[in-house]
Amino acid sequence: MLLILLAAVPGAFALICLALPGERLRQAVLVLGTLANLALVVVSWVKPPPALGVYLALDPIGHLFMSLAAVLFLATAVFFIGYHQRRLVSERIFLACFLALLATFNLVFVSSHLGVLWVALESASLAATPLIYFRLGARALEATWKFILMNSVGIALALLGIFCVALSASRIEPQVVLTVAGLGARGAELDDTWLRAGFLLTLVGFGTKMGLAPMHGWKPDTYGEAPPPVAALMAGAMTLAAFLGLLRIFQICSYAGLEEFAGGWFIVFGLLSIATAAIFVINNPDYRRLLAYTSVEHMGVMTLAVGLGTLGAYSCFLHGLHNTLNKGMLFFLAGYLWRMYGSKQIKDVRGVIHKHPLAGVLLMAALCASSGFPPFGMFFSELGILFAAAREGAWWTLALFSVTMCIVFIGVLTAMLPVVFGEPSSMPEGPDTKLLIRGEWRKKVMLAPVVCLAILALGLGAYQPPAVKRALDDAAKALFPGRAPAPTETRR
Amino acid sequence: MIWKTAAVAVGEGLLVLILPLVLMSVINRMKARFAGRTGPPWLQPFYDVIKLLRKGSVYSRTTTWVFRAGPVISLAALATAATMVPVVSNRCLLGFQGDVIVVVYLLALARMFTMLAALDTGSSFEGMGAAREATFGMMAEPALFMSMLVLILSTGSLQLGTMVGAGLSAEWATVGSAMVLTSAALLIVLLTESCRIPVDDPNTHLELTMIHEVMVLDHSGPDLAFITYGAALKFTLLGSFLVHSIFPHPDWALHLLIPLRVCEFIALALVVGVIESTMARLRLVKIPQLLAGATVLSGLAVVLVLSRRGA
Amino acid sequence: MTLQSTVDGLLVLVLLLDLAMLGASRLMTCVRLFALQSFVLALLPACAELLHGERPGTHAIFIGVAAIVLKVGVIPWLVARIIRTGEVHREVEPFIGFTTSMVLGALLIVGSFVFAGRLPETSHPFSSNLVPVALSTLFVGLLILVSRMKAVTQVIGYLVLENGIYLVGLLLVRQTPLLVELGILLDVFVGVFIMAIVVYRIREEFDHMDTHLLDELKETQG
Repeated sequence: MLLILLAAVPGAFALICLALPGERLRQAVLVLGTLANLALVVVSWVKPPPALGVYLALDPIGHLFMSLAAVLFLATAVFFIGYHQRRLVSERIFLACFLALLATFNLVFVSSHLGVLWVALESASLAATPLIYFRLGARALEATWKFILMNSVGIALALLGIFCVALSASRIEPQVVLTVAGLGARGAELDDTWLRAGFLLTLVGFGTKMGLAPMHGWKPDTYGEAPPPVAALMAGAMTLAAFLGLLRIFQICSYAGLEEFAGGWFIVFGLLSIATAAIFVINNPDYRRLLAYTSVEHMGVMTLAVGLGTLGAYSCFLHGLHNTLNKGMLFFLAGYLWRMYGSKQIKDVRGVIHKHPLAGVLLMAALCASSGFPPFGMFFSELGILFAAAREGAWWTLALFSVTMCIVFIGVLTAMLPVVFGEPSSMPEGPDTKLLIRGEWRKKVMLAPVVCLAILALGLGAYQPPAVKRALDDAAKALFPGRAPAPTETRR
Repeated sequence: MIWKTAAVAVGEGLLVLILPLVLMSVINRMKARFAGRTGPPWLQPFYDVIKLLRKGSVYSRTTTWVFRAGPVISLAALATAATMVPVVSNRCLLGFQGDVIVVVYLLALARMFTMLAALDTGSSFEGMGAAREATFGMMAEPALFMSMLVLILSTGSLQLGTMVGAGLSAEWATVGSAMVLTSAALLIVLLTESCRIPVDDPNTHLELTMIHEVMVLDHSGPDLAFITYGAALKFTLLGSFLVHSIFPHPDWALHLLIPLRVCEFIALALVVGVIESTMARLRLVKIPQLLAGATVLSGLAVVLVLSRRGA
Repeated sequence: MTLQSTVDGLLVLVLLLDLAMLGASRLMTCVRLFALQSFVLALLPACAELLHGERPGTHAIFIGVAAIVLKVGVIPWLVARIIRTGEVHREVEPFIGFTTSMVLGALLIVGSFVFAGRLPETSHPFSSNLVPVALSTLFVGLLILVSRMKAVTQVIGYLVLENGIYLVGLLLVRQTPLLVELGILLDVFVGVFIMAIVVYRIREEFDHMDTHLLDELKETQG
């Protein structure tokens, strides 16, 4: 019951949003919707709901991702109220799609049937498209077209991959159900060739949605042109949803004994993504595209980590947790800068700390968090990956990972430090006066979620409450159902 | 016994020699019917050939022995090919493994000498016709070869005499779609090689629009008779490929088989007449696309037959 | 002809329609060919059940009807509407010529047959040609997507790609629940609907539909 509510409640709020007149009312409904969703998620932690037939079930990984998405959506809703000031015609649709996106994400996270997962993920893509185009204009249109075309083709390939996985079980009688548990129970009988083909196709398909290289081409354009709250949602939550699809297939492969094969490909794509990000992050003049490439990099890190055993999986989920929080912070601050300065070019946005001290401090904190400074959590997840690679004996992986991560680190910080500490640009604030803030309260509302997320990130990095540790542990163990549980060496 | 076989062989041979002109007559009368006219007499093509044979030839001073040899060699090549293709029954006069390739190249030889005779006149129109004929002939060859390949794969033999017959009717039952594709490709090749609409208009008066007609502008007398008869014979030979593909009959008694076959040929001539009357000629730039389409169709048929064999 | 050869014939018809779409030079022709192909595909689940000697179940009939309504009726109408209201030059403009496209398509089809021959056998295939035809349609869809300049033809390429995947899904008719199949169909429909809106806006904003001219967003080194 709770599972259906998790998907239906945001959907209901979306419909209410569509029907209501009045901007203020709709925005209030938006916040209420995300708040209600967070409440339901908290309830699901307190009292875990049972599975609903073959279609819906809550496993540790989905539960973790759903909680992260819920927090991010609430923060984004609050930020949006401060950010949005231009009255655009399609604002009603925007808010409705916002909540519909939350509903589809929840459906992805609670689905246990591969078909339901696919339908929900494709619906999420479709719900996200009007959100990208919200700003209108030629560039946003171009980004929207690239997004929808690449995502549709990618997800069609993922469907083919799911079909191939199903075909690998087609010789087994009686017919197996297309769930991880169902397929896994007959793991040894699954046909090898079809399963491999299915894995590769879903890797390409879901990887396109995640933004793994070389299918990442749509990401810089989309994150650069979409409104910053939308970009935050996509970087923080949609990537998790697509990653979940990939992990489900990985679980099936683990049952069938194809772990090394799957893990190997994960490592390849992960390293490729980090390397691509490293190349394009250097000297990038546009700070939003830069953030898109850091998203590609973090997705690469998470994918790489899964291929490195149980410790790697733990680091992967830790990285995912902090990635969501960090991306929220970074994109909210990007939105704040856009409102303050009216430009997406780094050269126009310099010396933030002089003019907007709080924003400057938060930006510094977010950059440190994203680059892996201790005591923020990404330091520990990346350290975990290094240890996992050493434990598995993957020395080349370790070397390449270290080198590429260094390059990304240098690139991001050399680009963004002038933004924080540089000489304030001589341009008057904001070439486009329409974008200037109307009302000082907006500044506070935009920065409030950033402060909350920063505190959360710092807190969860410096100290891990046992509940969080247990959740991450469960997720890591659930990822390798095929093998006997190995003792996970955690960093705490 | 041997007299009976010889009599049958001679009879079949004569039938094969007469059939081309009959088919031409059928096509012309069909086209006339569509135009609302009665058309020429049934034996008109015979009258034409006989009339031309009795006339004298005029040779231009710019021509050499090639011009005189062209019609003779092309007719000889076509007649030789006619001995190796089963037309009205399932047997032919000569046959050996691989004679399908010899037949296709004899047809090409005939075309080559017609083209050479055209180039020999030194006229620009005929040169243009020769160039077009060369291009379209080159593009039609892959389609023809792949259609032959389908028949070879179906019957497992490289001899035209055995490529037809019962083996093909089994093929229609199993890979019927491949046979449909092959027949379509062969029809397009037939229309191309015998210079019919939609590839070439045999009744046009404008040299710029001609392909085959323009190559034979300067021939006269017996040479023109040879060429006219040769074109009709080529139509019959390629048509026999098509007819045998669409209607494969096992080895029935001859007095049943031969009339049936003649009727099928006449049906083919009627169909070609209808096509000529209802379609317009394609633009010259579209003809390569049409031939590429024919090649693709026959290629697809080959793939289907192969996959069915492999499965 | 037997039922088996009818089903084979239908699959070959699907292949021919693929090739025809590669060679079609008018946009409306492409759309009509796609509608015809979807119609043939919608008939196949019922034929499959007939081949196994059973009456077509409600699942197969329902999917067939839904597919016909959506993919033969609504989606082609939608695409045709964009073409009619948006385009002055209603011609496909490819990067590579039509003949080259057709020959490439033929090569891809041959490649699919060869590749499918190496894949292991699946149980209950109702035709040995199904997997090769599915792969061919997929590749031809990708070829159309990649080699055409107009946004509308890219949408058609995506639809042909989905047709190919649907063909593979036919192998799993018994395993995929009705709900999921309907969900897939609906997603495709909504996807095309949104694409149609975006294409319409592109035409309004840019006065053309050539997506290869949408290149303002790219990396510029500062």
